[in-house]
Amino acid sequence: MDFERSDTQRALLDALGTLLNRHAGPQRCRELTERGAYDHELETELRAAGFLDVFGEAGAGPLEATLAVEQISAELGAITPVPHLLVLPALGLPAPEGPVVLADREGPGPVRYGSEARQILVVGADRCGVAELSPDDAEPVPSAYGYPLARVVARRPDDLAPGTSQTMMNWWRVGACAEALGMMQSAFDLTVQYAKDRTVFGRALGSFQALQHRLSEVSVLLEGVRWLTYEAAFRGATAESSAVAASHTMATLHRLTRETHQITGAVGLTREHDLHLWTLRLQAIRAELGGLRAHQRAVVTSRWEVTAA
Amino acid sequence: MEFALSEADTAFRSDLVGFLDRELADGWNRSEHGLGSAVYTDFSRDFVHTLAAKGWLTPHWPPEYGGGGQGAWQHFVLGEEMWKRGEPRGPQYMNVNWVGPSVIKYGTEEQKKELLPPITRGEVFWCQGFSEPEAGTDLAALRTRADRDGEDYVLNGQKIWTSYANEADYCFLLARTGSVSDGRNGISVFLLPLRTPGVEVRRIDGFVGEHSFNELFLTDVRVPGNCLLGEENKGWDIVRRTLAYERVGAPRYARAALVLDGLADWCRAAGLLTDPGVQEQFGNARALCEAARVLVYRVIDERAKAKEPSPMAYQARAAMVQAERAVGDLALDVMGSEALAEQSPGDAQFRNSLGAGIAAGSYEVQLNLISRLILKLPKE
Ligand SMILES: Cc1cc2nc3c(=O)[nH]c(=O)nc-3n(C[C@H](O)[C@H](O)[C@H](O)COP(=O)(O)OP(=O)(O)OC[C@H]3O[C@@H](n4cnc5c(N)ncnc54)[C@H](O)[C@@H]3O)c2cc1C
Repeated sequence: MDFERSDTQRALLDALGTLLNRHAGPQRCRELTERGAYDHELETELRAAGFLDVFGEAGAGPLEATLAVEQISAELGAITPVPHLLVLPALGLPAPEGPVVLADREGPGPVRYGSEARQILVVGADRCGVAELSPDDAEPVPSAYGYPLARVVARRPDDLAPGTSQTMMNWWRVGACAEALGMMQSAFDLTVQYAKDRTVFGRALGSFQALQHRLSEVSVLLEGVRWLTYEAAFRGATAESSAVAASHTMATLHRLTRETHQITGAVGLTREHDLHLWTLRLQAIRAELGGLRAHQRAVVTSRWEVTAA
Repeated sequence: MEFALSEADTAFRSDLVGFLDRELADGWNRSEHGLGSAVYTDFSRDFVHTLAAKGWLTPHWPPEYGGGGQGAWQHFVLGEEMWKRGEPRGPQYMNVNWVGPSVIKYGTEEQKKELLPPITRGEVFWCQGFSEPEAGTDLAALRTRADRDGEDYVLNGQKIWTSYANEADYCFLLARTGSVSDGRNGISVFLLPLRTPGVEVRRIDGFVGEHSFNELFLTDVRVPGNCLLGEENKGWDIVRRTLAYERVGAPRYARAALVLDGLADWCRAAGLLTDPGVQEQFGNARALCEAARVLVYRVIDERAKAKEPSPMAYQARAAMVQAERAVGDLALDVMGSEALAEQSPGDAQFRNSLGAGIAAGSYEVQLNLISRLILKLPKE
């Protein structure tokens, strides 16, 4: 057991940090959002630097890929890190250029980067399916939640091998956790800083115990998310570990969204303030795979071997 | 980062599991009883002898004090497997986790010789005499006095909520040797034999499981100077260390998870486990148990690396409280009035969970410490 990052992990994340410094962060995220664009440049850089191969690499692996997804999300990298770094490699598929859509059924609701997406992976009863997407198949959906959304109509997907649906869902869950973790940590750090800086009634906002306790509780939840996510990745995203991590992550996401916005007051509700860059995008993750309740039910079906209701 | 036990620790776990499966075969599942109930206490008297014979009572202690010299993970695996089965060591988990280690660290050779062997053999019960009527969360307000009289100390005062005092042989007791204005700097630890004249134990009727609270009245209790642990007036440091152990020393999430499994069996039999709403509550509770587990593991990792205890223990402790409460609430929510029946699968858990955030450092105290030491929020 070892809860510290290894030298390899540190080096990997340092290199990723340097790259994200140039190709991500709030400023770049804002610029891209204006244009409603996917960050092809970032994807190209990540690909060139080998980050899309980390999952299957000797000396690295799924845990390292998960850490990378977390960091890309914390820095608001405008790509689809979960399919590219986790789900496609776990299925042994190459990552195409441009966004990839993950869907838990055919004809899903609005999906991130749907207009630009080249490929869609669909969870089936047992086999997962893969289909090409063309921009003509997409219908943009206006949304305030940060990501450019569109409804997509997939052509008849090609079925992959038996059992691939479970693999896909498990890694998708771990990926959603890692994305949410990165974003939640950034939103949380911003809020804690605000609580230290903002003065009310002649003292720091964060000196009021009522708020301290709420922030402390969120920190407890968030740390739980962190280690459950890493552990699930380390265990190869078993059905139970990934469902447990996703349950805890989504429950935390609900609470954290409320608390960060409550504690930052009105300024946190403005576009000028950075908080929304994370908290609005987080809601897209919240909705994936049926959301909190579906993750919780998945815990039960995997742990106590009950058939899904 | 790596989330697997070493080969040696894994082998130890599987030996231990085999042993417990044999030893506790007789329908031992005491999750229907509350922690600290007589069932555990009675059972533990014989059971720990068997454990001691295997060298599994104090495996992490140094060999010179009757231990096996094993690492922090082996110690923890032991605790986890015990709590997963409802803690058949009864109150003796405290001896093993923090009473003995405190004596090892701060005791004189004479104290070690006298006090440690009975613990390693599983022959004694200890209790913890910290709280007083006017000193709970604000422990440093304690007033029980210990005054020097020649070579002896004379103790006067009152302790309260002292678990197991009715059964215990010794009390790990805090008393004031300095003045009240010295606050934390005037407190000392005494290793008090409870059979000393002037000690009176009275039961307090509580309903947190079958847990028995006690009051301890000390009237002119004369003890020799060698009952003092460590230096006079330096007891607070010992306590801080002791509590750091206590906070995560008992893997309470493992017991909560055991109860949750029992509740799942009950719900399955009642045809409820396929109900989506019930499933959601189970998923939530299981996730909280697992979150507590990983946060505790993170603390054990620090301990295994011999680092100074960090504030991460407060997060782990708070997470355990959340897990215990979630399982207790689930029991009452899904079982309906069946949950109210004594020894139903959730009865003890619910009542225990009411005390979970109070004993061993309250939930609010953990949150205060997290705010200050982890989030570094300004003081009130
Ligand atoms: C099951 C059980 C077993 C126990 N066993 C033992 C034992 O063996 N030995 C022993 O010495 N003691 C024992 N205790 C006592 C325990 O240590 C105390 O109950 C605990 O320290 C809290 O003190 P109190 O009950 O006096 O509550 P109080 O100190 O009166 O606190 C009441 C409430 O106020 C909150 N509070 C207090 N101060 C603050 C603050 N600054 N900020 C925010 N909230 C605050 C507390 O968190 C708590 O919720 C046991 C308690 C229980 C429930």
